[in-house]
Amino acid sequence: MSGAGTVGLTIDGRPVRVPEGTNVLRAAGQAGIAIPHFCFHPGLEVEGHCRMCLVEIEGLPKLELSCATLVREGLSVRTSTERVRQARRDVLEFLLAEHPLDCPICDKAGECLLQDYYDLHGRHAGRMIEPRERREKKLAIGRKLILDRERCVLCTRCVRFLRAYTRTGELGIFERGLRSEVGIFEGRPVDNGYSGNLVDICPVGAITAEDFRFKTRAWFLAKRPSVCPHCARGCAVSVESVRGYPLADGVQRVYRITARENAAVNGHWICDLGREGRRDIEDGRRVRLLRQGAPASGLSWQAALTEVARALRQVPGPDRAERVAVVLNSRMTCEELDLAKRLFVSGPGSGRVFFADRRPGPADGLLLTADRVPNGRGVLEAGFEPRPADLDGLAASRVLLVFGTALAGLHDPREIARSFAAVPEKFLFAAHAGPLDKLVDLAFPVAVPAEKSGTYVNIEGIRQSFSRAFEPPRGVPAEGEILIGLVRSLGLSLGDLDAR
Amino acid sequence: MVESEVRLLPDDDRSWRLEAYLRRNGYQAARRALTTMSPEAVVAEVCKAQLRGRGGAGFPAGTKWSFVPKDAAGPKYLCVNADEGEPGTFKDRLVLLRAPHALLEGMLIAAYGAGLRTAYVYVRAEYAGLAARLDEAIAEARAAGFLGGRVFGTGFGLEVVVHLGAGAYICGEETALLESLEGRRGQPRLKPPFPATVGLFGAPTVINNVETLAAVPQILARGADWFLGRGLPGDGGTRLFGVSGAVRRPGVYELPVGTPLRTLIEVHAGGAPDGRRVKAVIPGGLSAPVLLPDEIDFPLDVASLARAGSMLGSAGVVVIPDGTSMLDVLRLTARFYAHESCGKCTPCRIGTSWILKTVDRLRRDGGGPADLDHILRLADGIRGRTLCPFGEGAALPIRALILKFRGELEQAAAR
Repeated sequence: MSGAGTVGLTIDGRPVRVPEGTNVLRAAGQAGIAIPHFCFHPGLEVEGHCRMCLVEIEGLPKLELSCATLVREGLSVRTSTERVRQARRDVLEFLLAEHPLDCPICDKAGECLLQDYYDLHGRHAGRMIEPRERREKKLAIGRKLILDRERCVLCTRCVRFLRAYTRTGELGIFERGLRSEVGIFEGRPVDNGYSGNLVDICPVGAITAEDFRFKTRAWFLAKRPSVCPHCARGCAVSVESVRGYPLADGVQRVYRITARENAAVNGHWICDLGREGRRDIEDGRRVRLLRQGAPASGLSWQAALTEVARALRQVPGPDRAERVAVVLNSRMTCEELDLAKRLFVSGPGSGRVFFADRRPGPADGLLLTADRVPNGRGVLEAGFEPRPADLDGLAASRVLLVFGTALAGLHDPREIARSFAAVPEKFLFAAHAGPLDKLVDLAFPVAVPAEKSGTYVNIEGIRQSFSRAFEPPRGVPAEGEILIGLVRSLGLSLGDLDAR
Repeated sequence: MVESEVRLLPDDDRSWRLEAYLRRNGYQAARRALTTMSPEAVVAEVCKAQLRGRGGAGFPAGTKWSFVPKDAAGPKYLCVNADEGEPGTFKDRLVLLRAPHALLEGMLIAAYGAGLRTAYVYVRAEYAGLAARLDEAIAEARAAGFLGGRVFGTGFGLEVVVHLGAGAYICGEETALLESLEGRRGQPRLKPPFPATVGLFGAPTVINNVETLAAVPQILARGADWFLGRGLPGDGGTRLFGVSGAVRRPGVYELPVGTPLRTLIEVHAGGAPDGRRVKAVIPGGLSAPVLLPDEIDFPLDVASLARAGSMLGSAGVVVIPDGTSMLDVLRLTARFYAHESCGKCTPCRIGTSWILKTVDRLRRDGGGPADLDHILRLADGIRGRTLCPFGEGAALPIRALILKFRGELEQAAAR
C-alpha cells in the first residue's frame, strides 16, 4: 500500500503505511503494535482523557495521545520506551487504586482491559493504604443493564455511544473529581434498541447484562462469527456458546450474542433485537421429530424423509404443479433456496411455491430494517416471485411442505387448521415448536441460522457467507440437508450445488 | 507605583460609571481604533506592545487574536474569562468593580481587531454582584452607542452577553469555560483544535482574561511603545498584583511588569506585620510553586518567574508567615486540587484525591519520609499526563512544598 491518500511513518522502528487521517493508535495496531487504551473506541469520537495511550513522538517534549494524534509523513513514534511504560504503569496504578478488585465475581473477568493491561504493563504491588471509595455496585440503569460504579474507569464510552449513536443520551457523568460517576437522569433509564452495545464497549465490568451475570465465565465461551438473521441488515455477530461446564457434558448453550465489526454493514454495533436472538436459538426449540404431534421415538429424520419423498412421488408428474404446495421462507440461505427452486419450481417436485415470513416491523433508522428476515434479497436473486401463502391454495394441494413457523403468525388458527385438514399429506420443517406441529403428519426439527452455513444477501445487496457458529442439537438437520435428501430421493442431480 | 492618570484602576469604587470613565478619556482609544485603523493595524499594535495574558498562561494577546481565521464564514466569538478562581487572586474582581468600562472598551477593540461580533463574559458565580454591575455598564455603553450595532458610526458592532458560572475552578480553563458556556459539564476539551479555530459552538473564538482586555485601551490610546516601555521587553505594561497573607497592607497593586517581588512585598505591601517573619511566598496563585524568603529577589514577569522555578500565573502573591504549619498548607493545597479536579483525566481525578488521602493520613496517624516520597511519586504521575494545565497546577505546588519544607513536614508527621 503506497501512493496518494496514504502516509508513511515509523513506529518503534517499523515502517508503517496507513491511510491519511488514521490515528497513531490505529496505525500501530496495523503494524501489530498494541497500544493500551480505555476511552478510545474506533466507533466513537476521540476524548483523550483516560491517558493510557500516551506515546513518545520524536521532536515533542511531552508524551502525546496516540488516539488523538493523526499520522503525518515521517512521524517517528515510540510506544515502549521507559517513559511511556512508566506513564502506563502510573495510569494503571491510579485506576487500580480505586478499583474494587472483585475479579473473582466479576463477569468481565477474562475479557477485561484492566486485567489485560495490568498483566502486560502493570504488575506492581498495591500501594494504596487509604480506604478506597465505596460506590453503588448494582444499580439497575434500564434494559436489564446493571451498573457497578466501583468498577467503572469513567472512560465515558457508554455516555458517548448514547449521545452519538442512538442520540438518546440516557447516561451522563454526574458529580466531579473522584466523586464522578456514570448515572441516569431521574426517571429516565436507558431505553433504546441498542442498549446491549453498552456491555460490549465497556472496557471493564462496570456495565453488565442481567441475563449474563453470574451465568458462566468468559473463558469458557467459544466465540464464533455468524450473520444476524433477525432483519435484512445482516449484521456481523459473534455467537458465544459453551459446551459442557457449567452444564452437564454435551449440553450446549448460547450465552450471548455480541457485535462483530463489519465496516460495510453494521460498523461496531448491533441492535438489541439481534442480541436477543439468543432466545431464538435457546428458547422454544423443538428438537424432536413429531408424528401427528407426538414424539416419534426411534425415527431418524433421514428415515422420516423417505415418507416425504414417497408422498411427492405419488403425485403423478403432470399434476405436481397443481397438487404439491410448498411454503418457503426468507430465513433460508441462498443455497437452500437454490435447492428448493430446483425441487419445486423446475424439478420433478414442482409445485406451487409460497412464502410465509414474519411480519415486518418499524425500521429504526439505524440498523434495524422493516423487513425482519435476513434473505429477502436472496429470495429475489434466486428467481422466486414470493407469493404469500393463501390458505385456500394450500387446501387444494395433495402434498404440503411447510418450512418455518411464520405461517401460524399470519392467519387465524382455525382457518389454518381447516386448510391443513383438507390436505391429505403434509409435512413441517421448523426449528421452533408451534401450533402447526399438531396439524401435520410429520414435524421435522431443523437448525436455526446460527447452527448452519450459508449465504444471505442483505438489504443493500451485500452477499455474506457464514459458517456454522455451533452445532445444532443431535439429530437436527439444516433445511439444506432436508432439501438435499429430497433431491437425492427424487433422483435429481446435485451438480455443483452440493451445499454440504 | 505608576502615575495616577494612566492607571487602569481608579482610586475608588464610585467612579465605575460611564460618565466618570469618559472624563478619564474613556472610549477614545476604541474610537480611534475603529474609525482610523484597520483591524490588522490594531492587532499589530497589540502584538507590538507585548501584552501577555493576565489570566495565568501568559500567552501574548495580540498573537492570540491573529490566529482567528479572517475569511471563515459564520459567527466568531470573544469570550472574556472572568472566572477568577485561582486562590490568592482577586484582581479581576477589582477591574469589574471599578473599571467595567475599561473592560468593555478593551473588548470592543479586541473584537474589532479579530473580527468578532458577539462577546460573552463568563463571570464566576461568586461574583454575581459584579455581574450585575457589568450589566449596568453594558446598558450605559449601549445607550451611548459604544456597544450594539454601528459603533461610532462605523459598520462595526458588538453584542455583549454576561453569563454566570456555577462555581467550578476548572471553568477558568479556557476550553472548560467554553463547554460550560455551551451548557455542558465544565470540563476541558482536547486540543488541538484550539479555540481560535474551533471554539464556542464550534466557531473561531478568542478567550481573554478581564485584566488583559482592560489593558488594551491604554495601548491604543498611547501606543505600543509607551506600553512596552512601562514593562519589560517581551512583557509589556503594568499588571495588577494581588498581595494577601502576612503583610501590613494586603491589596491589589498596579505596578510595572518587572517590579521585584521583594519590593512588592516589602515596600508596597509593607512587609510582614510586627513580630512576624515571612516563611514562604506563593508568587502567582496557588498553582505557582512556593518560594523561600531568600528566593524572592527577581523581577515579576513571566520569564523571570519561570526561571525561578515557579510561575507568575495570575500574579496573586500569597505571603505565608512563620508559625504556619506547612503540613496545613500542604493539606489545604491538596484539598483544593482534589476538590476542584473535574475528574475527566485519570491521573488528575485519582492522583489528586490519593494525595489528599495520604496527607490526611499523615496528619491523623503520622508517617515517615516514605510517605512524602509517595506523594512526590503521585505528583509525578499527574504532571504532564493530563489534558489541561490543571494537572501541572496541582502537581507542581505540592512537589515544591515537599521539596522545600521536607524537614518540617517529616517532623510534623513523625509520631
